[in-house]
Amino acid sequence: MTYPEELSELIEEFREIEDKMERLEMVFDMADEVIPYPLERWDDESRVLGCQSEAHVHVELDDGKVLLLAGADAKLVQGLMGILSIAINGTAPAQALLLSPDFAEEMGILNTLSPSRSNGFRNMFDKVMKDIRGLE
Amino acid sequence: MAIRDDFPILKREVNGFPLIYLDNAATTQKPQVVLDAMNDYYTSSNANVHRAVHTLAGEATEGYESCRTKLKEWFNAERAVLTSGTTEAINLVAHSWGRANLSEGDVIVLTEMEHHSDIVPWQMLAEERKIELRYVPVMENFTLDMDAYAASLDGAKLVCVVHTSNVLGVRNPMEEIIELAHSKGALVLVDAAQGVPHERINFQEFGADFMAFSAHKMCGPTGIGALLIHPDVFETMQPFMGGGDMIETVTITGSTYQTDEHKFEAGTPRIAEAVGWCAALDWMSTLDLKKEHQRLIGIGRWVAAELRTLGMSVYGRHEKQDSAVVSFNHPTIHSEDLAHLFDARGFAVRTGHHCAQPLLNRLGVSGTVRASFYLYNTMEEAELFVQQLKEITERFG
Repeated sequence: MTYPEELSELIEEFREIEDKMERLEMVFDMADEVIPYPLERWDDESRVLGCQSEAHVHVELDDGKVLLLAGADAKLVQGLMGILSIAINGTAPAQALLLSPDFAEEMGILNTLSPSRSNGFRNMFDKVMKDIRGLE
Repeated sequence: MAIRDDFPILKREVNGFPLIYLDNAATTQKPQVVLDAMNDYYTSSNANVHRAVHTLAGEATEGYESCRTKLKEWFNAERAVLTSGTTEAINLVAHSWGRANLSEGDVIVLTEMEHHSDIVPWQMLAEERKIELRYVPVMENFTLDMDAYAASLDGAKLVCVVHTSNVLGVRNPMEEIIELAHSKGALVLVDAAQGVPHERINFQEFGADFMAFSAHKMCGPTGIGALLIHPDVFETMQPFMGGGDMIETVTITGSTYQTDEHKFEAGTPRIAEAVGWCAALDWMSTLDLKKEHQRLIGIGRWVAAELRTLGMSVYGRHEKQDSAVVSFNHPTIHSEDLAHLFDARGFAVRTGHHCAQPLLNRLGVSGTVRASFYLYNTMEEAELFVQQLKEITERFG
């Protein structure tokens, strides 16, 4: 999979870290990249189902480009939202839809990306992609 | 030789650190004798059970049926149906006893402490048969409201109650619960999935009508469990899964069924798993379970106290009869984040609602971190766990 340049660099950075706790810390730091989706707008429409944490995403178009707004109570989920934001914000919807969720596994953050009720990241990724398709 | 030496998985590393496995309320690890027994079965005796005369079929049948015999001995029970686990065992009661004995307006008493597997089958039956479900509340001290329980029994036909909570580790006053239910004419189903790994229960003395549990929570394989049934109640149950092995004769106009436990075991059963469970019970019989339980609840109590000192919210009371399950939440770190951070240092703990959402709603939380200890866990591991929590708090709290 070819990733956008900024994401590819991030994957490389993550790969260079041997200690998983350090990698997690770096993911937590990526939470700063999230454009917050205001708490008062969190509803069933924005909720990511199957997440252990409370997680909400909202996708809109800004001048024809994708803009992800998100929020979650778990820091890891917020960080993954931040990484996803780096990958898709400012790109055309068609471009964003080319993204594969494998980057989270390649970064050594998650043990598995298999779709399951407990895989919050995969559920979040799938919902964001579905919402982007809805924008087209 | 230490107990943990029998468990090869405990020698592995996770993320570069020695594995410290504290997810035993979800499933336990398997001693080498269980792995060997299952491997030996597939290597030298694999065949289908019952209707064949060849040697391998005889060995397979003996292996499978010896599990039933051993369970009856272990629990002093007259009827033991082998199922896929606790969930199937409870569903079996709902279908085979419930449908034959319950009708509109009947009452089933449950508790807020139940695992989903002891709630959902009853909700499904209640919807189908218009049965009333009553839930006994859990109080602030993490125990069942026994006054509410006594009051709920009026008109009840069945009480379904968890022996030991998978979230709190609290062991319910089962003897009192059973006696009260029987005095009001209700039968009792006990979800003993978390109870039997810690306590050797004499089913006949215990007095319950049904008791469901799983092998994998007591060092046996996944995919097999059992339902113990009082012999009088057994006679009032109808088969619900039809197929091979459970019949006496089949013609195109109808079938007759076996009269013993086989009538509830349609299809090819879990033979290797039964053989493995036998080996697990043999292995456990070499231990002093009472002594081990005392040791483990001592560890659980110590961990709970340390966690409270560190500012954690701990759910449970950790008295001598309880199991060594420590559920807690960190004041600032989300439970899911905490579990990932523990995993980064080789600790396996569970997070989430633990399939007990009504209980978590009562506790006012959406999830907890749960560390649960079993036979091979040591005080040293508990100390490392607490130390790790301190380090995580310093860095991320």
